Amino acid sequence: MDALNNLMYGFGIALSPMNIVYVFCGVFAGTIIGMLPGLGPISAIALMIPITFSMDPSSGLILMAGVYYGAVFGGSTSSILLNAPGISGTVATSFDGYPMARKGLAGKALAIAAYSSFIGGTLSVIGLMLVAPLLSKVAISFGPAEYFALMVLGLTAVVSLSDKSLIKGLISGVVGIMVSLVGIDHQTSTERFTFGSAHLLDGIDFLVVALGIFALAEVFYMLLRGGGGKEQPRSAIGSLKLSRSETRQILPVAGRSSILGFFTGVLPGAGATIGSFLGYSMEKRLAKDGDTFGQGNIKGVAAPESANNAACTGSFVPLLTLGVPGSGTTAVLLGALLVMGITPGPAMLEDRPDVFWGVIASMYLGNIFLLVLNLPLIPLIAKILELPRALLLSLILIFCMIGVYGLAFSIYDLLLLLAFGLLGLGMRLFGFPAAPMILALILGGIMEQSMRRALQISGGDWMVFIEQPISLTLLIIAVLSVAGPLVRKAVKGAQARQAG
Amino acid sequence: MSMRTPITLLAATSLTLTAGVASAFEPSESVEFIAPANPGGGWDTLVRTSSRVIQEEGLADEEFAPINTPGGGGAVAWSQIAKREGDAHTLFATSPPIILVPLTESSRYDHNDFTPIARLSTDYATVLVADDSDYEDINDLLDAMEEDPGLSVGGGSAPGSMDHIAMAGLADAAGLDASSVNYVPFSGGGDAMTNLMGGHVEAVVTGAGEAVGQIEDDDSDVRALGVSSSDRLGGSLGDVATFEEQGVDYTFDIWRGVMGPPDMPEDAVTYYQDLFKEMLETDRWAEERDKLGWIDAYQGSEEFGEFLDSQADEFSGILGELGLLDEES
Repeated sequence: MDALNNLMYGFGIALSPMNIVYVFCGVFAGTIIGMLPGLGPISAIALMIPITFSMDPSSGLILMAGVYYGAVFGGSTSSILLNAPGISGTVATSFDGYPMARKGLAGKALAIAAYSSFIGGTLSVIGLMLVAPLLSKVAISFGPAEYFALMVLGLTAVVSLSDKSLIKGLISGVVGIMVSLVGIDHQTSTERFTFGSAHLLDGIDFLVVALGIFALAEVFYMLLRGGGGKEQPRSAIGSLKLSRSETRQILPVAGRSSILGFFTGVLPGAGATIGSFLGYSMEKRLAKDGDTFGQGNIKGVAAPESANNAACTGSFVPLLTLGVPGSGTTAVLLGALLVMGITPGPAMLEDRPDVFWGVIASMYLGNIFLLVLNLPLIPLIAKILELPRALLLSLILIFCMIGVYGLAFSIYDLLLLLAFGLLGLGMRLFGFPAAPMILALILGGIMEQSMRRALQISGGDWMVFIEQPISLTLLIIAVLSVAGPLVRKAVKGAQARQAG
Repeated sequence: MSMRTPITLLAATSLTLTAGVASAFEPSESVEFIAPANPGGGWDTLVRTSSRVIQEEGLADEEFAPINTPGGGGAVAWSQIAKREGDAHTLFATSPPIILVPLTESSRYDHNDFTPIARLSTDYATVLVADDSDYEDINDLLDAMEEDPGLSVGGGSAPGSMDHIAMAGLADAAGLDASSVNYVPFSGGGDAMTNLMGGHVEAVVTGAGEAVGQIEDDDSDVRALGVSSSDRLGGSLGDVATFEEQGVDYTFDIWRGVMGPPDMPEDAVTYYQDLFKEMLETDRWAEERDKLGWIDAYQGSEEFGEFLDSQADEFSGILGELGLLDEES
């Protein structure tokens, strides 16, 4: 029981009074940061580097890691209450979380998000502890060809995210990919669709599109429909308690999605986002009541929330075992560690076990803190929904604008936000689902770049995607997951015709 | 009354002292120190580290406020700073992209539009391969590249930017066609590194400071074939031969420095260049610099300006060979 001994050693470090304070401060700050869109964990951690400078490296990492997973934990709040996802990993949470809140079940949705985040966080720390060194091999086995295949698989979720019309879902997805093309092409340094504007050189930020087509479009829609300004006091927040049958429904969902999330998180790249979308569409297919996903199904909240928290922990695997960052946030963490004189990598486990095991142990503690901290906060935060509608809508508007303005302090982004808000309203009125667009926007860029990198390495030979076993497997799963529902539909149709 | 006299005297003395240097510039408000990128990168680190050292060592009375203005690989910040003509309270961090970005992309402003203040430090480029690779030195790799132009060399930045230029310049110096390098751009140094470890690319070009962490492990998965400095580097990179030692006449500096808005008043330029010189001499800076793996390479305003011009000539030559020169600039 080496792992157990090491863990005990880690707890010895994490449970020192100062480190307990750091874990608490980290997760508390993280939760708050996560709730506000635009104020992502990256900038928060970058700003913390000077503070952690004089700390013991294990304490510094404990604090900064706490901010990171705390932000992912708290990120679901704005998705559920306001339909305004602050980070890409919580987009999928809004699909069922927001409808639940509208039905007066905000308390329950937030509670499920908290429990699922806790399960995802805790299960993945166990994974990190037991198999991190082994998994580092998996992380590096993913080259450009494999990433392309993984992104294709991720995009197949479009099928399950298009509620009524598959054609409209696909159109929405293609628009998302088109938006992802804007900016300087990383492979050739050529500008694409920037119309000579310096503001578009870096492309259009995910947050601008997400807040536009989800939150702002929702505000516009309510304004259109609301008309006379009748104040309908919203139903209460509802109970936080889960019934026994609800708990029984959620546990397997959270378990499966945690495992899925952890493994996608290990892969450098968009782990949390892909994990949450794949978790969501996997559960939608597995569930008997899959057709109620998107209308406020509790499993639709549990799946992405456990997956994104698990993925966040998973992203520590390449950082701690290989010394390479898998995401923007872990890149900043790596920088901070280097400044403190710690070199993450294969030798860290031997040279600085205090840092490695201290952080792992602190994550168990941090997740418990987060749960204890978040549950009593839910009724307070959810009170926002009891505001009169005029106030609530203005609040969402301000919230979105601050989030977007905070990205680069640019008025231009605010105009883009407005444009996407109007686009979202149009999509809503004509029955185009918004989810496939945002999914395609997030995955499209990585998919394109990976494909071109793979082809550049192979000298233009397309066989590269089929020759690699991992890539081939992922592509086969992708084909099956698209073809499956279509075949089933066709068979059903044929049966119906025969019967009729 | 007798108690007052010394104080009055002291006040008078300090008044004369101030009057004596009245012509010299001192910031009268806090100085905006801009990193033209998001938090976490090289420019951001330079801005935050030097602001902190200046503050903690009490080198300036006014505050140096680090500000991030990301976008367009620097172009967004440059276009804002270019409008602050003659402003003596704005500075920004700079490095080779101030020359490379305008040459390859349509940034309307280049290094000639700004006032050089000082070059502070430098890093060098290094070429890494997987530990189990057949290439023992840089010539093995270059020979293999000559034989197979499809051999993939990864880097963390876009074509025509730092990593690519470093590798293309090396190939050029070794007598290869610079444009024959099959440079594969990844989304960052870390991304390139994982792809090297996983065997997806044959070699990776990156900054030596960035690579230190990967190389110093004994059971590391990667090793360095050479560095672009003219003398061997210290620390864990001490065993790595320079390219010159291996018979390729080539050096490449990843320099970092500070610039100001167009037409910054001369006395302000003098003030800031001296301030940064003073900062480089503090122990606090030495401590931070060593952690970051940077090497001091101070140049004052004038010298730095000439250096920038010579870099621009060199880079546009390589970019021209690569066919990446933007026709409009």
